[in-house]
Amino acid sequence: MTAHAAQVEKRKQRMGKRTIISRIISYILLTIVAFITIIPFIWTLSTSFKGQNEPVYSFPPNFIPQNFTFENYISVWTTLPIPLYLWNSVILTFFGVLLPLIFCSLAAYPLARMEFKGKNLIFLIIVATMMIPGEVTMIPVYLIIQKLGLMESFAGVILPGAVSAFGIFLMRQAFFAIPKEVEESAFMDGATVLQLFSMIMLPMVRPMLVTLGILSFIGAWNSFLWPLLILTDPNKYPLTLGLYKLQGTFTSNTRLVAAGAVIALVPILIVFSSMQKYFVEGAYSSAVKG
Amino acid sequence: MYKERHAWYFLTIPAILLLTFSLIPAAWALFLSFTNYNVFQPLQFVGLENFQRAFTNELFGKAIFNTFYYWILVTPALVVLPILLAVLVNQKIPLINFFQLTYYFPFLVSVVVTALLWKMMFRQDGIMNYFLSLFGIEPVGWLTSSSTAMPSIGLITIWQGLGYYMLIYLAGLQAIPKSLYEAAEIDGAGFWKKQFHVTFPMLRPIIFFVTIVSTLSAFKEFTLMLVMTDGGPLYATTTVVYLVFLEAFEYLNMGYASAISFILFVIILIITLINRRVFERDD
Repeated sequence: MTAHAAQVEKRKQRMGKRTIISRIISYILLTIVAFITIIPFIWTLSTSFKGQNEPVYSFPPNFIPQNFTFENYISVWTTLPIPLYLWNSVILTFFGVLLPLIFCSLAAYPLARMEFKGKNLIFLIIVATMMIPGEVTMIPVYLIIQKLGLMESFAGVILPGAVSAFGIFLMRQAFFAIPKEVEESAFMDGATVLQLFSMIMLPMVRPMLVTLGILSFIGAWNSFLWPLLILTDPNKYPLTLGLYKLQGTFTSNTRLVAAGAVIALVPILIVFSSMQKYFVEGAYSSAVKG
Repeated sequence: MYKERHAWYFLTIPAILLLTFSLIPAAWALFLSFTNYNVFQPLQFVGLENFQRAFTNELFGKAIFNTFYYWILVTPALVVLPILLAVLVNQKIPLINFFQLTYYFPFLVSVVVTALLWKMMFRQDGIMNYFLSLFGIEPVGWLTSSSTAMPSIGLITIWQGLGYYMLIYLAGLQAIPKSLYEAAEIDGAGFWKKQFHVTFPMLRPIIFFVTIVSTLSAFKEFTLMLVMTDGGPLYATTTVVYLVFLEAFEYLNMGYASAISFILFVIILIITLINRRVFERDD
């Protein structure tokens, strides 16, 4: 009995030792990958605080600024209309998130909950649009925006992405999951269809709305191609485009480029760290469609 | 109760948007590819001329080659490495959330900022060459040499996508029943045996999904090339979509560009079908 207990104890100890070793190995690996992931950020951050007489590039690289200074940020801020770019990005992102939420929910709702003529055909068309890559339709979409007189306008940047087949799919799945009784009792209480949709159904699919919102946010905040094609007036540039257009002016001064990059990174970092849970769920649900 | 017309109240505006910015453009692109439309002259039908021009054009051939090259550089890495990473972060240990979020973050960084960061990393006197020097390797031109430009961009793509695909695999890993691992343990399977006999087979559908998604995005990528290298040096990073962009918006050859985009569409379709075949056959 005691011999057996001792044996169990010994095994436990061995297991404990093994777990410790495997944890140490895990943390070493985790740290290496983390290092690879963040090294461009760390180096850029440190460069952005380096003084003019301090070499930026050196072997070995110097991660701690010797003459710590904010002057690079001040130069970028005075060279570029950063607040204006930020404001443009915010407007584009706001509508780039809001419109898909509205239009995808609107389209998905009848497809999930109602019976009507042509339903299957409409659904088939939506599936078909999912197969067409945006790169194939890029030229005609550009021409259509031109014909609609939307060049140089935020509407021209936002509208092509205002509804997506993928978003309709996600929302349709969420609406499917709602039990039939919800509608029955709502109609019994005399609710109109609009009331039912906006006051009962939409709140019930809130988690999916958040997911779709996050996915749209990533796309809208980073959107580059459509602003590049449609906006030529520098006063309308979002941050991404402003940085792109002016990186030529800056290439000679790495410190300023670094400061510009950090300014562009801060908003996304703030949003990401305050809503990390939803960002992770967003990545998960983008896999659901597969 | 719902009436027939209610459905259309909901559907009308989204349907108009989808028609205007997806369906009509798709048909229009096909139409344009048989014309010589170039903005200035009236449009004329040219039959298959654009397609003939593409298939005899050296630059188009190069763009096709570059696209496949980029695909081979990034997709296998983005299918395999994130699995290993997902297994690594699928542990209940302190700080693991922090590591997961850190790996995911590059995915959220815009292509322009990514380019700013990595252009500095890839400088002749930059960090990447410093790392090489640690192993006694001579400095490399990275983006300035036509032989290393595409692999360099591939490296960025892998850096950026690793954490995203890791999360997708992680969702799959967490759905695998624990009992399968326990059964394997009873049979005396070690760590690697468990991965090969339980993890990988159970992840099959997700591996398929990641293969498709990373393939599609590899074939469609061009903004990274646009902001990093302008498709150069010597067209070494000009992908098919980059060529579409170049022909359409720089040279205004909209007809020819549409034809190229349609060839790409067909290639993507074929690859998707082959992928599906391969994965279904084994089941």
